[in-house]
Amino acid sequence: MPSKKQETLANRIRRLRFDNGEMTQQDLAERIGVTRQTIIALEAGKYVPSLLLAFRLASAFRVRVEDVFQYDAGSPG
Amino acid sequence: MLFHAGFKVMGRGSQIMSRLQMFAWFNLAVIALTLLVVFSLLPFLGSRAMGGLGCLGFIGFGPLFFRKKPGRVVTDERDHLIQWRSWIFAYSLFWVIFVLIAVVLSAVIYGEDGAVPVSVVRISVFCAFMLVYALASIAILVQYAGASKNAE
Repeated sequence: MPSKKQETLANRIRRLRFDNGEMTQQDLAERIGVTRQTIIALEAGKYVPSLLLAFRLASAFRVRVEDVFQYDAGSPG
Repeated sequence: MLFHAGFKVMGRGSQIMSRLQMFAWFNLAVIALTLLVVFSLLPFLGSRAMGGLGCLGFIGFGPLFFRKKPGRVVTDERDHLIQWRSWIFAYSLFWVIFVLIAVVLSAVIYGEDGAVPVSVVRISVFCAFMLVYALASIAILVQYAGASKNAE
């Protein structure tokens, strides 16, 4: 029986916020047009954003999307 | 405790509870109030106590939580996703319960050749309304649960 891969999507939003003048969650939320709760959920890894939101996040930090999100396909088994 | 432990409104920017959560709590509060009114009037007014179901009309004020304010995000894609999933869950579960009651329970209570009284049908509509809103509201709150743990 084939075993499931455990895919993960990590992010560096918290780190990037601090690298960008200790930006608050509220500041970032207002900048990308979401609620603060969504930023909290994103940082906690409890929400996977849409592609559009991922690009807006990257744009807010002036970095590439892959600098914000790291996808791990996981290993079988 | 009625409200989520993370609830705090201390000014702009520190609000932990989203508008959708407020909407869910509001709906549950209206449903609780309605049930309280109906059951407290029942011993005195009998079947006329069902007039208390009119309190459900307060749910009509729910959309006021989503009034748009300039320069402020009221809801976003995550809220829409949570709301959509909650209504799908609520209506799906409602249909299971509805079919169970309509097909099985009605026959058990009123018999195969019996007739369902009009008053029961009338109350069922209000009960269905309350059930759908309660299920959706609970689903909303469950999906938001614990989300404010990493708040700064």
